[in-house]
Amino acid sequence: MRALVVDDSRAMRRIVTRILEDAGFEVLEAGDGQEALDVLAAQETPPELACVDWNMPVMDGLTFINHVRKQPQWRATTLMMVTTESEQSQIVRALAAGAHEYLIKPFTGEAMLEKLDLLGLLPTPVGDQT
Amino acid sequence: MTNGTAPDNALVLAAIEQVWGSMLFASADPWPADRPAEFGSGVQAQIELRGDWNGRLVLTCDRDVAAQIAGAMLGCGPEEVLPDLDVHDAVGEVLNVVGGSVKGALDGVSALGLPGVAPCTAPPAQGECMVVSWRDAPVYVQVVPDAAA
Repeated sequence: MRALVVDDSRAMRRIVTRILEDAGFEVLEAGDGQEALDVLAAQETPPELACVDWNMPVMDGLTFINHVRKQPQWRATTLMMVTTESEQSQIVRALAAGAHEYLIKPFTGEAMLEKLDLLGLLPTPVGDQT
Repeated sequence: MTNGTAPDNALVLAAIEQVWGSMLFASADPWPADRPAEFGSGVQAQIELRGDWNGRLVLTCDRDVAAQIAGAMLGCGPEEVLPDLDVHDAVGEVLNVVGGSVKGALDGVSALGLPGVAPCTAPPAQGECMVVSWRDAPVYVQVVPDAAA
C-alpha cells in the first residue's frame, strides 16, 4: 500500500513516514496542499491513504481535502487529518469536507496505527506488529 | 484594542508536559529558579494565537538543547548531526503542537499561526517566562500579549 504524507514540517513528515513505513507503506511526501495535489496528479494510481496537516502555507489541509473530494479519480484515497486543531467544531468541519479520520497532535505511533487499523488500512493488524 | 484572557501558566505548562511526554519522551519538570544555566547561541520559536485573546507563544533554548530536542523528536542516533534547517523545523513543530493544545483549551481563540524560528543571542529574563527542564537544561516559554493599540 502507498500513503501520501502532507505536512509543512519536515520533522513531522519524517515521524509520520517512519510510522507508516514500519507498518508496510510506501510513502510519498508533500510540504503543502498544492504540492500534494501535484504529487497526486503525477500518480498513475492514487495512494490508498493521505495523512494531511491542517495549517500549512500555500494551501491548507482543509482546502486540499475539498479539492481531492471533487475529483472522482481520487475518491478511493482515504483521508486522515493529522493536526493540532483539536476543537470539536474543527473536527466536524474536516469530516464534513470529506476526511475519513482525524488524529490530533501530539499523538503516538500506536494511536496512528489504531486509526489505520479501524480504517482497514493496516497490512498487519495492531498487536501483530513487531 | 481589548484583549481577552491570556492562557495561564498552568494551561501552557500542561500543554508542554503533554508534548514533552508524547513527542520527546521526557518529563518537563520546572527548572529551579536559582540554578544557573549556560546559554551560547540560541534558537527562538514563536507562534501567534488570534481570537478573543491575541498574542504569541515564544519558546527559547540554547542551540545545543534545540538540537537535542530535534534529535529526540526524530529518533536520531547519538552520532547523527542535524542541520540547522531541521533543528529549527523540529523546534517550530514542538511549539506548534503546544500552541494547538493551548488553543484547543482556551475559549475564544480561533486561529493558530504558523511557527517561525530564528537564532537568538540571549534567553528571556526568568521573571518574564516559565522555565522547564529538557533533560539537564532549561527551556524558556513566554506568553506575550499583543501590545495595546
